[in-house]
Amino acid sequence: MQDYRLTDKNIIGKPALIVGVAGLALSMIGYFMDPKQFFYSYLVAYVFWTTLALGGLFFTLLHHLTGAEWSTVLRRISESVMVSFPILAVLFIPVALGMHDLYHWTHTDVVVNDKILSAKAPYLNVTFFIIRTAAYFAIWSLLSWRLHKLSLEQDSNPSPELRKKFRKISAPGMLLFAVTITFAGFDWLMSLDPHWYSTIFGVYVFGGSLLAIYSFLIIFGLMLRKRNILQDTITVEHYHDLGKFLFAFTIFWGYIGFSQYFLIWYANIPEETIWYLYRWEGSWSIITMIIVLGHFLVPFILLMPRANKRNLKFLNFMAVWIFVMHWIDIYWLVIPNLHQQGFQLSWMDLTLTLGIGGLFMYWFWRKLSANALVAINDPSLEISINFTNN
Amino acid sequence: MKKTQYMIAEFENPAELLKAAEKIRDAGYKKFDCHSPFPIHGMDDAMGMKRSPLGWIVGLVAVVAVTAGVVLQWWTSSVAYPIVIAGKPFFSYQAYGPVAFAIMVLTSAFVSLFGMLALNKLPQFYHRLFDSDRFGKVTDDGFLISVEADDPQFDVKKTEDLLKQVGGKNVEIIG
Amino acid sequence: MSVASNQLVEQETPLISGDQTFASVTEKISSIAEAKTPKMWYVAIGISASIMFFFLFLIGYLVWEGIGIWGLNIPVGWGWAIVNFVFWVGIGHAGTLISAILFLFRQKWRTSINRFAEAMTLFAVICALIFPGIHVGRIWMAYYMFPLPNQMSMWPNFRSPLLWDVFAVGTYFTVSLLFWYTGLIPDLASMRDRAKTKIRRYVLGFFSLGWRGGNRQWQHYELAYLLLAGLSTPLVLSVHSVVSTDFATSVIPGWHTTIFPPYFVAGAIFSGFAMVNTLAIIARKIYGLEDFITIKHLEKMNIIMLVTGSMVGYAYSCEFFIAWYSGNEYETFTFLNRAFGPYAWAYWTMVSCNVIVPQLFWFKKVRTSVPIMFVMALLVNVGMWFERFVIVVSSLSRDFLPANWDYYSPTWVDVGMFIGSFGLFFTLFLIFLRFVPMIAMAEVKAVLPQADPHFYHGNGHLDTAANTVAVKEGGKA
Repeated sequence: MQDYRLTDKNIIGKPALIVGVAGLALSMIGYFMDPKQFFYSYLVAYVFWTTLALGGLFFTLLHHLTGAEWSTVLRRISESVMVSFPILAVLFIPVALGMHDLYHWTHTDVVVNDKILSAKAPYLNVTFFIIRTAAYFAIWSLLSWRLHKLSLEQDSNPSPELRKKFRKISAPGMLLFAVTITFAGFDWLMSLDPHWYSTIFGVYVFGGSLLAIYSFLIIFGLMLRKRNILQDTITVEHYHDLGKFLFAFTIFWGYIGFSQYFLIWYANIPEETIWYLYRWEGSWSIITMIIVLGHFLVPFILLMPRANKRNLKFLNFMAVWIFVMHWIDIYWLVIPNLHQQGFQLSWMDLTLTLGIGGLFMYWFWRKLSANALVAINDPSLEISINFTNN
Repeated sequence: MKKTQYMIAEFENPAELLKAAEKIRDAGYKKFDCHSPFPIHGMDDAMGMKRSPLGWIVGLVAVVAVTAGVVLQWWTSSVAYPIVIAGKPFFSYQAYGPVAFAIMVLTSAFVSLFGMLALNKLPQFYHRLFDSDRFGKVTDDGFLISVEADDPQFDVKKTEDLLKQVGGKNVEIIG
Repeated sequence: MSVASNQLVEQETPLISGDQTFASVTEKISSIAEAKTPKMWYVAIGISASIMFFFLFLIGYLVWEGIGIWGLNIPVGWGWAIVNFVFWVGIGHAGTLISAILFLFRQKWRTSINRFAEAMTLFAVICALIFPGIHVGRIWMAYYMFPLPNQMSMWPNFRSPLLWDVFAVGTYFTVSLLFWYTGLIPDLASMRDRAKTKIRRYVLGFFSLGWRGGNRQWQHYELAYLLLAGLSTPLVLSVHSVVSTDFATSVIPGWHTTIFPPYFVAGAIFSGFAMVNTLAIIARKIYGLEDFITIKHLEKMNIIMLVTGSMVGYAYSCEFFIAWYSGNEYETFTFLNRAFGPYAWAYWTMVSCNVIVPQLFWFKKVRTSVPIMFVMALLVNVGMWFERFVIVVSSLSRDFLPANWDYYSPTWVDVGMFIGSFGLFFTLFLIFLRFVPMIAMAEVKAVLPQADPHFYHGNGHLDTAANTVAVKEGGKA
């Protein structure tokens, strides 16, 4: 029996750490040059990687709840993605420090003179915001830590009881996940424009995080495959399935995004349409069109044929494409609040995304390479490896 | 019209049918069919069949239908009968989504069903095979292979031997 | 819906119990439709048909008198009729979910229930279509809803959600019918080939189109089935989304909220599964189909109800929170009014039945107890009707101007028509149970363990060791 352990553990670890530290260090210079831009760029990068971790958590919860067999070989990877929450919690500190620059509702003088904002003050105030964020991270960390720990336990001690335990955690975990990701979306992103509101916004953020994790699993799995790691374990059948999910969730994301836009467009209430107006102002319309076409239409058409999902080179390209599109989507949610006249890329957008991403990947790799790459004692591992799509 | 003759043989279960199909395919037969109460996994390959073209047909129709749906709405509300409603532009493409989509699905669904029937040459209420008393079993629990006499490989004696050799029982000629 | 496959892994029991063979499946299912009509059936259809005729009478009365005989007033211009419309369309969704979405997700357990769930869809959509149809008042002008050239050179308003409804629900009905019929073809052929009388043979022969069960036919057939499933999946999501836009594109507080489309879809599936469960429990009891519709099947449906019920609860909470968070006083008022105003009784009925009741399905005991789930499914049906009532009536009765407020109550005609629609639904359903194979025979056979060629040992004979291998389900989320 294979033990599925890495022989060369340095593929990602160190380079990622170097990129991470260098990216963040470079960005520090940016902070002194233009703190406002720094914080906005930071938020984009931060939310981008956090949605990936949330996607990992969701993938794992879903796997346990459905008792799915095909995804067993991918479980350890998604588990290693989600255990990054403690790191992300620490990385939240700059957001907390930059709240005054990011969130208009922290300006007490403005709130006092604004009837609507003062009505929201019981919810939108710094203390409660920090408490809520702490609660999200506590819940996410605890859930992912428990599931990861049990999973490692299974590696050494295959007890049939574990399956029940996984599910016992996952069921309430899923409910908590739904509530927390929704409110995190409201807090971190929606309240950037504190007058604006949309009930579907949490679902929209959730849709994006699904695309993040499924494209990440494809990209990362194929990267391992290139190095002849797990090439017989994660087969073309699994990629085909991941491709189907990528396709399905592209539609889901498009459906949610369209529902929001469509209802606001139709009802035409100024308080709501302003949000889209900002995103249609000047050169922002280009980014909006890129999202409509690139985030939905192109992957929708290209991922439809069966052959494309089984062509690993092509699938890899599409996964990278969607991963990038997800970043643009977050950028589009955040930055119009800063540059209202038109979009303006900053070098910090890049360095911070790489910086946080580097640390994220470093941590992810550390967790992944310390153990077997798949859940070796999962009773359905065999079935999962031999899974076919017919 | 010339009436085609058929030779049929019965098999015990899906596995035998599948194996027999492979052998008949390897013997070079083209005009034969494997009848079963439900579709059998892997039979398409065993019989050496190409993939059905229905997907491409429906896909093409879907593209045409969705275009037609948009054109219909554009023409009626911007050209033939332009009326300002709720202050919205005549060509409100956002609002055209639901109807264009419905037209696309409706048309594609019709083409899926009727395209399938056309490819299967159905309805065909009478078929030579129905003359056999044994043939009725294929919709219950029977597994049959039918070979057309039109097949260039067909030879009463040789085909019968082949069918028996691959495990066929109750070999019978119809017509 | 993916949570539906909960507990797949431990499931070592087969999907279909009672050691069925291919022949016993045909025999069991076909014989129900072939046997002499049971007396109980006459009694049942006698009752439901009388209710249906009462419904038809009320429709005639309505057409004659106009919709003034309903309890509508200003500002409540939409009352029970629209509530019933949304209620019935929603019920239909479970059928399509089972036949299409679960098919794409390779959930083999669906084969036992898809046929009659789809039938339920068709009949529910018929009931649904009637209500907006008669609501137009001058029903003889209904053709204006279609883009037909006419002497006044007028065209429908394609920017109106009500017109989208016509297209969406009309398409939904037609596509469901095509899908249902596609599934029926091989089964009708099975019944044709065992028909004893000439007339049966001709009728069944006609409808089964000369199906021969050859693999050259199955190949196209399977692809057509897959395509129809692939088309129905986005369709079913779009239908209730379009229905939700009837409300959500407006500016009425409590109607205009962006979460409406997915929330309506979740609610529709929720209510639909409640109805499927109710019908399945009755049918399996009466016709002795416990081997085909096992406790496992019912349990899975209960899990889907738990999942979708939780989604509905999520949407309620989201709406409530954002109503406050928006700082919009009309929104805030509407939601407080729902919870504590004159329709509070309806609101709390809705919350209890839709959010609290399904949470009991967390317990395995509850999920697997037939009497308890039967009661719970009924409660969910009640709750989902009230949900639509709350949305339609509470928002309209108290909108922006207090001077315009009014309380709405239904008249006897409203009530009679709602009950009457059940008469129509059950009449159609009873006819279906009597004449059509109510379980998809060919599909059930295909998921029996012996349908898989790998089940047999190398030499093509039954392998006794393999005999004990349990059926594994698709196992994909």
